[in-house]
Amino acid sequence: MIQPQTHLNVADNSRARELMCIRVIGASNRRYAHIGDVIVAVIKEAVPNTPLERSEVITAVIISTRKELKRDNGMIIRYDDNAAVVIDQEGNPKGTQIFGAIARELRQLNFTKIVSLAPEVL
Amino acid sequence: MRLEKCWFCSSTVYPGHGIQFVRNDAKIFRFCRSKCHKNFKMKRNPRKVKWTKAYRRLHGKDMTHDSTFEFERKRNRPERYDRNLAENTLKAIKKIDKIRSDRASDHIKNRLKTGKVQRQKEARKQLEQGIHLVKAPHALAQDSSLCLPKIKVNVSQAQTEENQPMEE
Repeated sequence: MIQPQTHLNVADNSRARELMCIRVIGASNRRYAHIGDVIVAVIKEAVPNTPLERSEVITAVIISTRKELKRDNGMIIRYDDNAAVVIDQEGNPKGTQIFGAIARELRQLNFTKIVSLAPEVL
Repeated sequence: MRLEKCWFCSSTVYPGHGIQFVRNDAKIFRFCRSKCHKNFKMKRNPRKVKWTKAYRRLHGKDMTHDSTFEFERKRNRPERYDRNLAENTLKAIKKIDKIRSDRASDHIKNRLKTGKVQRQKEARKQLEQGIHLVKAPHALAQDSSLCLPKIKVNVSQAQTEENQPMEE
């Protein structure tokens, strides 16, 4: 359940460290974003001397949430933190490595590049 | 579909039950119910929590080493479906389960045997000493089947000057 003002960790090597959600993409009054939703975020903390800078507005896709993800087969998955991967307008990740386990839902949402880079798919 | 084990209590987690928690190092913790999940969040060590299988195995309450455990390994390679194999496996599962549970209950019975013997000894002693709480002495004397048989023991006492009864 990510909403504006939520801080998220960055789960790839795109040189940003922490993001703050500004907007949930999808509908005009959409309240929360879950795993697989795209958000607009501002970079709150970045690795110094890199193309991505602090207070830059970027889009990201949410990889993991502390709120449980419920599947149709009854499986419930909870992660340890809220994390996102920085993407561009087409949905391709900006970084080249993904850290942490990824949920299978991202494959259905056409984030195939992210899923292929992930070390483990749950 | 796979039957997992709960990380906390080691019971089987059937599909549709429980919660999986993914830690940041990608280690997955599966819980069978919220009781185990909440204990985990409280950072309790299952080896110290009395009702878990981990505690019972560690403290010798349950069987630890047995050949029947070898059959239940985690196998990652899926088997090609073979009707005979499936049939035999199902039969084997039933039999192995029965053998394992029989051995486990024997283990527990043996463990509790010493306690039972002890309790019977204590009960006998209590009966000998405390029969007066149950029956009046007069009733006891009349009905000899109620009390334990009196054993007559001959005690030899030295007939010294002090022990001889006073002559009137």
